[in-house]
Amino acid sequence: MTASAEVSAVPPFQLERSPGSLIFRVSAGKAVRSGLAWGAVYGIMVASAALSYVSIYPHQAQRDQLELLFGSNHAASALFGPGNQLQTVAGFTVYKVSMTLMILGAIWGILLSTRLLRGEEDAGRMELLVAGQTTRPRATAQVLVALGLAVSALWAVTALVTVVTGRSSSVVFRVGPSLFFAVALSASALMFLAVGAVTSQMAATRRQASTYGAIVLGVSYAIRMLADSGAGLDWLRWLSPLGWVEILQPFTDPQPLALLCIAGFTIGLSILAVHLTGLRDLGSSTFRDRSHARAKLGLLRRPLGLSARLLRPSIIGWIVAVVLSALLVGFVAKAAGQVIRGSSVEQILARLGATSSGANSYLGMAFLILAVLVAFVAANQVTAVRGEESGGRLDALIARPVSRVSWLGGRTALGASVVAAAGLLAGLFAWLGVLSQSGGVSLGPLMKAGVNIVPPGLCVLGLGIAVFGLFPRLTTKAVYGYVAWSLLIEIVGGIGAVNHVILDTSVFHHMAPAPAVSPNWTAGMVMAAIGCAGAGAGLFAFRSRDLKSE
Amino acid sequence: MLKNEVAVATHRLTKRYGSIDALADLDLEIAAGEIFGYLGPNGAGKTTTIRLLLGLARPTEGSATVFGMDCWSDAVEVHRRVSYVPGDVNLWPSLTGFETLSLLGNVQGRVDVDYRDDLIARFGLDVSKKVRAYSKGNRQKVVLIAALMSRPDLLVLDEPTAGLDPLMEQEFRRCVHEAKARGQTIFLSSHILSEVEALCDRVAILRDGRLVEVGTLSEMRHLSSVTVEVTVAGDVPDLSQVEGVTAVQVAGQRIHCQVQGSIDPLLRALSAVPVTSLLSREPSLEELFLALYGEDRGERRAS
Ligand SMILES: Nc1ncnc2c1ncn2[C@@H]1O[C@H](COP(=O)(O)OP(=O)(O)OP(=O)(O)O)[C@@H](O)[C@H]1O
Ligand SMILES: [Mg+2]
Repeated sequence: MTASAEVSAVPPFQLERSPGSLIFRVSAGKAVRSGLAWGAVYGIMVASAALSYVSIYPHQAQRDQLELLFGSNHAASALFGPGNQLQTVAGFTVYKVSMTLMILGAIWGILLSTRLLRGEEDAGRMELLVAGQTTRPRATAQVLVALGLAVSALWAVTALVTVVTGRSSSVVFRVGPSLFFAVALSASALMFLAVGAVTSQMAATRRQASTYGAIVLGVSYAIRMLADSGAGLDWLRWLSPLGWVEILQPFTDPQPLALLCIAGFTIGLSILAVHLTGLRDLGSSTFRDRSHARAKLGLLRRPLGLSARLLRPSIIGWIVAVVLSALLVGFVAKAAGQVIRGSSVEQILARLGATSSGANSYLGMAFLILAVLVAFVAANQVTAVRGEESGGRLDALIARPVSRVSWLGGRTALGASVVAAAGLLAGLFAWLGVLSQSGGVSLGPLMKAGVNIVPPGLCVLGLGIAVFGLFPRLTTKAVYGYVAWSLLIEIVGGIGAVNHVILDTSVFHHMAPAPAVSPNWTAGMVMAAIGCAGAGAGLFAFRSRDLKSE
Repeated sequence: MLKNEVAVATHRLTKRYGSIDALADLDLEIAAGEIFGYLGPNGAGKTTTIRLLLGLARPTEGSATVFGMDCWSDAVEVHRRVSYVPGDVNLWPSLTGFETLSLLGNVQGRVDVDYRDDLIARFGLDVSKKVRAYSKGNRQKVVLIAALMSRPDLLVLDEPTAGLDPLMEQEFRRCVHEAKARGQTIFLSSHILSEVEALCDRVAILRDGRLVEVGTLSEMRHLSSVTVEVTVAGDVPDLSQVEGVTAVQVAGQRIHCQVQGSIDPLLRALSAVPVTSLLSREPSLEELFLALYGEDRGERRAS
């Protein structure tokens, strides 16, 4: 009796409560979970920075020394952002975590919004959700609200941990400023979520959308780098989203006015994203390319030619980014070098064997950034290799008389050539930049510095190919993760003490800061050899495994 | 190509994904020049078999050869004589149809250019369009033309007509007949039974990774019952006891029944009465297919 009563209580169809907000609920679940997880990462970084500061530098004299060393060091501030009041826990904490979290947050923002807005669409799931439920601009707006919730979650966890940490008697952060600090830390994630939303509408695929987002991030970083390099270009900070975050100066000298820029930028881009959605078809880009084209068969004779043709736009994009950054670095070298002269950075470099001028010291630091770019070029080559397989297009080649070894070997060689070209061009264009300012650094050492940043790239490329051969589905995560990890170690290690075993895992740690010191060719050879070994292992593994799509 | 050459042979070919047997102990032999149909419900293991034959996946156990060469270790050599139409068509969106065809032709290493242009015209494909802008059916045409234009000794086709309209499907059948006439071997996996019935010399039926049946259509028909309709003048004989006869239905002078195996006992039983008409109809492949799976479903439910 009871059983039948229960049965009749169930409606014949389980109706969706409000089909119109389905997309919001699906996206919000994913986005908020991700926001909470990253909030925990932010919180841990903040708490560990504050607590390690009070334990490593317990005395005021040590803290004053720190302020003297880094507070007005323009080379360091060009890389890691300006440092204010490093003699206080709050000032040091801001300095130590801001740049790292600003970049990580931006990358998180780009990846999350392109995944939810573009990845779902590429996979064809968006079509199912949108069909008959709602209009596409509304769907985009729903995802944007979900992304907003994700940043709120990120902010809430960060704020909570900061406030709790601040209650420690040795730290002492007040609640209001702590909340503002959390806002500053979340701001770059917020803005780049919006950037990702717009590029998701402009690009034809998620990969392309992420690349566009990364370019915006790179340009923002470079502009604020110029502003912070002490060349009298402070006003440039107002032209960069990352610059606005720096202007906020939580704890030390709060400037909430910059929040207006941040809010305006985010809201403007969000509106633009919703608007652009309405202008394009599902699965295509806003700037629709022509559907007909004249056949250009030049490169289509063999698989390697095809790869060259497919990768051409992205290779050109990366090379342009490297060349512009190198030019910029060379351009500010003289001014920045004058500031460094006699500072702690120069002393540290002198201990490593540097005998040269201030400009050389500055370039030694700045080539690290170029090395990171080149490593990203390498990572991008690896993910493109995996992309051919995961998209199922590789089947069409491997099912024909193309050997797996020659295909992957060719792609690896192509990647290595691009990495090498990027390094050499970095050296050449840094020299051109220096030359334009009569900076007094000659071509030879800068070309060597360019060659010097190639081995870390080759190492990343080879290790990436190894992962591709052995665990193809992890390729993208592993290779970008490793470059990001290396960068993080290098940034954190550059400021405070980090265990040397951990430092050793960073591919950039083994690279000598040329041209400030002469390149360590042995280390370079070892890195290149590791890359070769990785590529060999990858080739070997690829020969004997199934082709695996998504 | 040698006469009586074996085009495809598999020996206890097995592919496991984790604990799933996608394909188990497959033993097949396909002679050169044959059109071989490969049938089975969704998830039966057809695509898995084809990926193993092409060396895109590695057998967990057993082996497969194409023209005597091992599909895994001699993959490149095998591929010189084989073309493949995949079930999932994935091409480079930024290339045009013509660019794709010329790339794939170059990579294959042999193209009959006249035949290619003929195929482009027959399938009515606009080759100046980018792959991104093609409909599903047009993308299917690109891979079909790419496979046919190299006139390979073996064509491996995984649901080649998915997405083609009926006119294009007719064109495809003509192409298959041409290929057969030239002595090419065709391995055709399909869900369209009428297509398999019209084209194939022999058929294999797969279920849950195992071979259920293999043989010519007429051999298979012997396994299934024939429908017989008899009209008699005079008394209707009792046929229910006759060997091999089931499902007897009588309507006036008309008898409707199913005959399993030889029809001889039925004819002998009818010899005593004047028969005015006798109609027998062999089962279609569809009926065979449904009968096989009907049984299997029943078994599975029972276990
Ligand atoms: N890469 C893989 N990983 C795990 N399981 C797989 C994989 N590929 C196939 N399978 C499983 O193997 C079985 C056979 O799949 P297969 O694709 O060969 O079927 P099919 O006969 O081609 O089906 P359909 O008619 O739907 O195309 C299925 O159960 C499938 O889930
Ligand atoms: Mg299949």
